[in-house]
Amino acid sequence: MKAMGKKNKKIIRLNINNTVYDILVEHRDTLLEVLREKLLLTGTKDACNMGECGACTVLLDGKPVLACLTLAIDAHDKEITTIEGIAKDGSLSPIQGSFIEHGAIQCGFCSPGMILTATALLKENPNPSREEIKKAIEGNICRCTGYNKIIDAIGDAAKKISKDHQSS
Amino acid sequence: MANIIGKRIPRIDGPQKAIGEAKYTTDIFLPDMLCAKILRSPIAHAKILNIDTSKAEKIPGVKAVITGKDAWGIKHGFVETPRYPADQYCLANDRVRYIGEEVAAVAAIDEDAAIEALDAIKVEYEELTPVFDIFESIKPDAPEIHPNELPDLTEPFKNVGGRCANSFGNVEKAFKDAYLIKNDRFESQLRTHSYLEPQATVAHYDKSGKLNIWTSGMGVFRKRMHLANTLRIPSSRIRVHKIWVGGAFGGKIDLFSHEFCTSLLSIKTGMPVKYVAERDEIFSFFRHGQPMVVDLETAVTKEGVILGQRARCYNSCGAYRGSGVVCIFLCWGFLILPYRIPALDYIGYSIYTNNPVRAPQRGHGAPQIRFAVESQLDMIAEELGIDPIEIRIKNARNKGDVLPNNDTVKNAGLIECIKKAAEKTNFRKRYIKYKTERVYQDNYCHDDYKKDNKRFRRGIGIGVSGYFTGTLIYPNNSAAIVQFNDDGTVKCLTGALDIGQGAETIISQIVAEELGLNLEDVELITGDTDTCPVDIGSWISGLTYVTGNAAKKAAEDAKRQILAAASLELGVGIERLEINGKRIFIKDNPERSIPFSMAIARHIYENKGDPIIGRGFFRGLKDAKIGPSLKNAKGSWSDSYAFDAQVAEVEVDMATGKIRVLKATTAHDCGFPINPLLVEGQIDGQVSMATGQAISEEVVMKNGITLNPSFLEYKLPLATEMVENDYIDIITEEYKKDHHFHTKEVGEGYVSGILAAIANAVYNATGYRPKKLPINIMNDP
Repeated sequence: MKAMGKKNKKIIRLNINNTVYDILVEHRDTLLEVLREKLLLTGTKDACNMGECGACTVLLDGKPVLACLTLAIDAHDKEITTIEGIAKDGSLSPIQGSFIEHGAIQCGFCSPGMILTATALLKENPNPSREEIKKAIEGNICRCTGYNKIIDAIGDAAKKISKDHQSS
Repeated sequence: MANIIGKRIPRIDGPQKAIGEAKYTTDIFLPDMLCAKILRSPIAHAKILNIDTSKAEKIPGVKAVITGKDAWGIKHGFVETPRYPADQYCLANDRVRYIGEEVAAVAAIDEDAAIEALDAIKVEYEELTPVFDIFESIKPDAPEIHPNELPDLTEPFKNVGGRCANSFGNVEKAFKDAYLIKNDRFESQLRTHSYLEPQATVAHYDKSGKLNIWTSGMGVFRKRMHLANTLRIPSSRIRVHKIWVGGAFGGKIDLFSHEFCTSLLSIKTGMPVKYVAERDEIFSFFRHGQPMVVDLETAVTKEGVILGQRARCYNSCGAYRGSGVVCIFLCWGFLILPYRIPALDYIGYSIYTNNPVRAPQRGHGAPQIRFAVESQLDMIAEELGIDPIEIRIKNARNKGDVLPNNDTVKNAGLIECIKKAAEKTNFRKRYIKYKTERVYQDNYCHDDYKKDNKRFRRGIGIGVSGYFTGTLIYPNNSAAIVQFNDDGTVKCLTGALDIGQGAETIISQIVAEELGLNLEDVELITGDTDTCPVDIGSWISGLTYVTGNAAKKAAEDAKRQILAAASLELGVGIERLEINGKRIFIKDNPERSIPFSMAIARHIYENKGDPIIGRGFFRGLKDAKIGPSLKNAKGSWSDSYAFDAQVAEVEVDMATGKIRVLKATTAHDCGFPINPLLVEGQIDGQVSMATGQAISEEVVMKNGITLNPSFLEYKLPLATEMVENDYIDIITEEYKKDHHFHTKEVGEGYVSGILAAIANAVYNATGYRPKKLPINIMNDP
């Protein structure tokens, strides 16, 4: 909720979930502010706004970043994936399905960031060990689940994805 | 038979939350919405001489500025009783009592203007001497934070906000007859909930004169009651809307100043107003859990049987009462619950200091007192040469035991929990193995490991706890409505609020079960004070029991009506009918059946248009007018009690003091588990929270200032510190059709046994006896 009409404004182009937006931002606007307040893509959560909890994780050219520490102007011309872009054609991704099935979601506030971190992990490392999963999500805080079922869910999703690859 | 109860069913809100569609208060953006900010006191204790808001009001974009003068001098409190009247203004009036106390609030068109306005408000303070430590604060010459209002306070103590005293049995004789007496002090730290969704409120006072509220809370009817009282408007003019809540753990049940301010700013401007707390504001100024000092003296026989206890609990409630006076009652409750104590002398004090106010946090008193009792019991066992399992079984409550307040523990499964937890972890063998591996049995020194060069040591420990299942406090009861749709599916209206625990899933399961429906045939309308009947709320560990039974009764009522109509349509008695797949069958002639829709049509025809509306309601403690006394702990407390025995296995790095909790085994009697997947989720979260309390979490304060107000500096358990969990269900209650059922508590009770178990395991590993949390083995005794 920052003042428009003050200073240092610029039009940037963001490709968010395969939709291109030309959008007027201030230099100081973070990607998180632009996603949530200007585009109302509120699936990306704002929990600490200090880069400490991982709730605002989005993918920038496929890599997980903290939207609260990313200036919107630095995302110019880049591909951004938010939680709204993870389900394809109305069906949940294997990771999303696995989170639901395993009880990895409770209050749900960390879930979008957690799912995006997991998505990036499995793309880079399709068969992570349990320790590798823990390390990958170490920057995403969850207070509800103790992480147990989240780790189970990611491990199981990895298995499902590699099975699907083998059968296709 | 639907067979939906007792199944591991994924939660119904999963898809919405997994795709980012679930809306939380912070996600609400309304047209022309104003931004609210709060001005807080920078001084821990001061008189307010004057507040000048004139400059702030003139700043472009500022729409309203409010101070205590706009708030009618109305006070509120977590508890509001004749003994403990409300003691806190929504905005400070003539005095501030902690750093961060709310002094003024502004609403502006954007954040920049709001912040500029805060800076432009001039407050003149006259500083008073503050006091931050509870034992300094009770001294007769301490600065007075609030005058004494307790007629039964016989001690020469100052600044006592609450006192709970209870004694029974012959305590003197118990100590005279004792073979062994132990007297120790145990201290629990200040820690915080760390709900991931920040505190946030949106208020919109619309043109019809209705105040619409979305707030990150734990019970919509309780919030409405508090807002109606403090805003001086009828509760019917306030609508608290349903909104998802991103975690609470006790920290969002109170009325908060920002909820009042956001509402008042919207009333003043006629525009929607939003307030979102910054994370460092939450760490520094909002309500955390309760630090506690417990002095515990226990008398036992040679065989380790408890003869009597003396306990003094000193809780630091902060600058106002908050829930401190409840916490000292609950400490009594969690002291007398798991073990038979023939004689007890208990006094709990809730003490004011110039620190922020304290709230319930998951367990509310139980972690503090169980840490003390379970640690001391292990010390006693060791001195008497009894093992930790044996001493617990000897003292544990048995089925049908009557508590000192005349409640019964009914089918308590505690002894079975202890036995099964010990068995499954091979406790005795490993306990002795780890103990004998320690080089020095006495005179612990953290450097000792150098002598045998055994840096990493393992240990195992056990802890026991019990928990209540709801009690009487406003709104006391829950109601529910079940209505049929034309297609035979149902709508269930319930005021329940899902804060992450799975309330909506549980209620859907119960309604589906009663009506033989699939889960997707039950649509819930929840958490809205205008469309839903009253609900007890997601706190005091009563929702599944109280609201669950209300929903069950509403479904039963709807079922009774639809069967009556089907009986006319099919021409046979109700007793010959059964329900399956949205149809009603004749049991002995299943060829003949009608769909729900036909029975509903018949019901409408026969009953002058009545479309079948099932009503259900429930209240615990049916023979009690009010809940237990916070003064002397007399009176009924709860209908039933959950129990647990938990075992922790730890590894301690003697060189650095780092403790890792490797595994937790929880044997629990939570009655009938409506959804075991959700029960496990609750246990996982509690084990994790307890691990944080045991080894890493502490809000560090100095002179009223929080020194670590961020997730970087406040050390929550991370994924790499995950504890492997094992669960053992001890099911002592069943889900009976046509009866109300005794589900028991499962959301709070399991932070305590495991906390104590971790402390005992650290001792088993190292010989260091933790008496202060978080545990630091580098502090040689």
